[in-house]
Amino acid sequence: MKNSPRPYRWAEKLFSCIAAPHLREELLGDLDERFYKHGQRYGYAIARLLYLIDILLLLHPRLWRRKADTYETITYYSSSFILHPDMLRNYFKIAFRNLIKNKVYSFINISGLAVGMACCLAICLYVYDEFSFDRFHTNAPNLYRVVEKQNQAGTLYDVASSPGPLAPALKAEFAEIKQYCRFDRYWGILKHDSTIIEDIDMLGVDHSFFNMFNFPLLRGNVNQALLNPNEIIITESTAERFFGSQWKHSTNILGQPFQFKDKTFTLTGIAQNPPHNSHIQFDILFSYLLTENDKDQYKWNNDSHYNYLLLQPNTDIVSLNKKLFGFMAKYRPFDKPTISLQPMSDIYLNPAFSFQTDWQTKGSRLYIWVFVAVGSIVLLIALFNFMNLSTARAMKRAQEVGVRKAIGAVRLQLVVQFLGESLLLTLLAVIFSIGLLILFLPLLNEIAAKSLIIPFTEPLLWLVIMGFTLLISFLAGIYPAFYLSGFQPIKVLKGVFNIQSGQLFRRTLVVSQFTMSVVLVTGAIVIYKQLTFMQNQNLGFDQSQLLSTWIRPELHNKIEMMKADLEQQSSIAQVTLTTGNLVDMNNSTYDFSWEGQAPGEGMVITHANADPQFLKTTGMKLIAGRNFDPKITSDTAEAYVINETAAKRMHWTPEQALGKTITFWQKKGKVIGVVKDFHFRPLTAAIEPFLLRYWPVGPYNYNNFLIKTRPNLNHEAIAALEQVYKKYKSIMPPYYEFVDQSLENQYRTEQRTGKVVFYFSALAIFVSCLGLFGLVTFTAEQRTKEIGIRKVLGATVTNIVNLLSKDFLQLVVLAIIIASPLAWFLMNQWLADFAYKTDVEWWIFALSGILAIGIALLTVSFKAIRAAVVNPVKSLRSE
Amino acid sequence: MKGDQLGEFEELVLLTIALLYDDAYSVAVVEELSKRLQRPMSLGAVHRTMQRLEEKGLVASRFGEALAERGGRRKRLFTVTTSGEQALQEARQIRNDLWAGIPKVAFGGAMS
Repeated sequence: MKNSPRPYRWAEKLFSCIAAPHLREELLGDLDERFYKHGQRYGYAIARLLYLIDILLLLHPRLWRRKADTYETITYYSSSFILHPDMLRNYFKIAFRNLIKNKVYSFINISGLAVGMACCLAICLYVYDEFSFDRFHTNAPNLYRVVEKQNQAGTLYDVASSPGPLAPALKAEFAEIKQYCRFDRYWGILKHDSTIIEDIDMLGVDHSFFNMFNFPLLRGNVNQALLNPNEIIITESTAERFFGSQWKHSTNILGQPFQFKDKTFTLTGIAQNPPHNSHIQFDILFSYLLTENDKDQYKWNNDSHYNYLLLQPNTDIVSLNKKLFGFMAKYRPFDKPTISLQPMSDIYLNPAFSFQTDWQTKGSRLYIWVFVAVGSIVLLIALFNFMNLSTARAMKRAQEVGVRKAIGAVRLQLVVQFLGESLLLTLLAVIFSIGLLILFLPLLNEIAAKSLIIPFTEPLLWLVIMGFTLLISFLAGIYPAFYLSGFQPIKVLKGVFNIQSGQLFRRTLVVSQFTMSVVLVTGAIVIYKQLTFMQNQNLGFDQSQLLSTWIRPELHNKIEMMKADLEQQSSIAQVTLTTGNLVDMNNSTYDFSWEGQAPGEGMVITHANADPQFLKTTGMKLIAGRNFDPKITSDTAEAYVINETAAKRMHWTPEQALGKTITFWQKKGKVIGVVKDFHFRPLTAAIEPFLLRYWPVGPYNYNNFLIKTRPNLNHEAIAALEQVYKKYKSIMPPYYEFVDQSLENQYRTEQRTGKVVFYFSALAIFVSCLGLFGLVTFTAEQRTKEIGIRKVLGATVTNIVNLLSKDFLQLVVLAIIIASPLAWFLMNQWLADFAYKTDVEWWIFALSGILAIGIALLTVSFKAIRAAVVNPVKSLRSE
Repeated sequence: MKGDQLGEFEELVLLTIALLYDDAYSVAVVEELSKRLQRPMSLGAVHRTMQRLEEKGLVASRFGEALAERGGRRKRLFTVTTSGEQALQEARQIRNDLWAGIPKVAFGGAMS
């Protein structure tokens, strides 16, 4: 009936979707038959209407209810169609039943995977955040920073900063440079009316700042901003501090005056707070013209500025770098630093610059990789659990596979079935892992000092989670799927089944799991050992009870009186004036020579000013010569105290050094003492030459008090310090820090890494043990009869526990043997970054080994003992 | 028991299936019944009833041949099973007993 009228195609289609498969054919036939009969009788227009009414009146649960076993099932699919709906339903049913029936294994698989995935998701968030740095700038691909390489005493140092005149000179010469922006950093007190704020980041930037970077202005005109040296722009959060949260409603906020360094500035803009993932952080912006007008600051010899360039799109950066390379030689003939361009996206993650010239906000590629590695390890261990348990328990499923194959399942069908089961488990695990992540993200934020959130509204997140789910279910399920689907039905149905099969594979996985766990544990131990080593390292001075306070500029005229007052305090034992806080001293110069210096020899020397109390207050030891003496006037002009390393570099023993002439900053003087080496940089750096000089106590020769408090009188000492500050009319209370705390704080990154590795290694061990527990449970089940018979024949509980544990413990021991050299190698790589490091001693491996064996033994014996104490009557009775 | 209870409509459908004997399928049953009862009848109602009857085991079904006017689809042909016949007999017996029990005066008075 090809050309005859047809009922509505869409209605037919819809109906066949709704109708249960077993009813589909007959009802469609009935409907058609009635349609033609009606058509002949009333015409086809009415027949179509009646067709619809027929369908409408057929709508009833009976229409779509499946089941109805009494009916012969009709199918429109070819029998080899793998995703047949009936089969899918069956797969789900079987998967679900398996899940419920084997609660222990399901729990192990799901919880293990959930923990692993939560770790991975957390690390993903972390890494995403780290890599998102500075990518929000529209110009990001074309932004570069000029960095220098300085040759100091034959060593090349990378320096992130460069002189201010560099960028304009470059722009004049190279057409590739579209725009530049220079940065200077300012410190001081900012005042508006009676509000005084000090702890803020202040930058001097060029007018181009707002065009080159994406830092929008909420108020003010971008095109006019910072063209005058007396302008100031503040961020919203700073505006809130000065004007209160109501500033947004005020209309006359622009034009308000601010005082900074005795000058008045006019507020011309309010900038949005810089995003947290920007390495450029600021609260206050001044015009770079402030620096440009200051001839002491703005010169080729002053390397304390940042030069950022915006290049033309599609600039060949390699050839531009070649052209730039020797550019500075003509301006700096004495040291001829070379320059190169560092891409914007590289700045945050590559803070490998000397002398702390880089910004404060910096990340670390190494630690990103460490985190990625430990996160993946936990996930991998969980995946191995899944594979192990599914293959180990293959025998239980073998019968099913046999039956399925016997009634015509092809291998691909079984593969799909088992992959689907792993997908189901993974989905459950994903749900739990998101829960875990929500629960533990605050902990991670605390450890990593981040403020990560889960971006639930971000489609990318769900894409990643979906991708993760698919990938993990595939990885976890692929081996079991092929392994299980490969059974020969005739064998498994006959009951000939080799329990040994796949055992080598499982053992390999257990060994790798424990290898990774042991490596992580060893890593955690070594990191902790290094941290304690650094904290307990004798730094060459006594950092306890030592208070460091920076002298405010307005107090400089009163330094001597303040010092005398402080010395009077009963809570204070010693006070010294100096120019450093002993944590990280960076004032260094190449401008240094000595008698008997060979041509071509030279060295960078770090220096500090110190008065005669310095050695006593800090507890440093002289090994030759004498201290500065206030009674000898020449000491303040031509006497130097150097450290051991400095003496050694000049080829003198400490005794020989005494009386030798050295020239520091063009000033000749004699070495009067040699001080024992002390650490004035973090322990990542080796001790370098150091020089102390004693300048007359007066304004601007010193900027720091070091105060040794009397035992247990820290609070009193701080109160006394505040009193003294008040007495001399400081406008702000003193800013102080305890040296031992500051010393500890500089190893924060290491501490964080240590914590992350510690937590993740705990998780790794936990998940490994889950897997081990599963395997032991399985073995114990398998050998119930054997255990029963052995007990009847007189085996003791110890015998049985031995029997069950031995195999697994062998694997753990093997893992330790493999892991130890691996961990040794990796940890030596990490320690190579430290000039002063702890030894990776044998006991660390012994400890992590014993830990691994102990936990494994505990896990195994828990199950083994339970299996061993079962009354053989019970285990032998069942059949 | 559920299977023993034969609803009125069920009974009618069952009787029609028996009547049509070799060609009892839903469309035919609908036509036959609406002709005899003089009222329209939906395919859905009849089809559902036939399903129910089959679940109760009162009818059995098999596929017939595919026909062009059915779009090449087969029809499901029903036959009354032994227990179906039994159920019909019982229903008839009950009615007969009831008829027999009615006193003559009940209808007689009204008729004359």
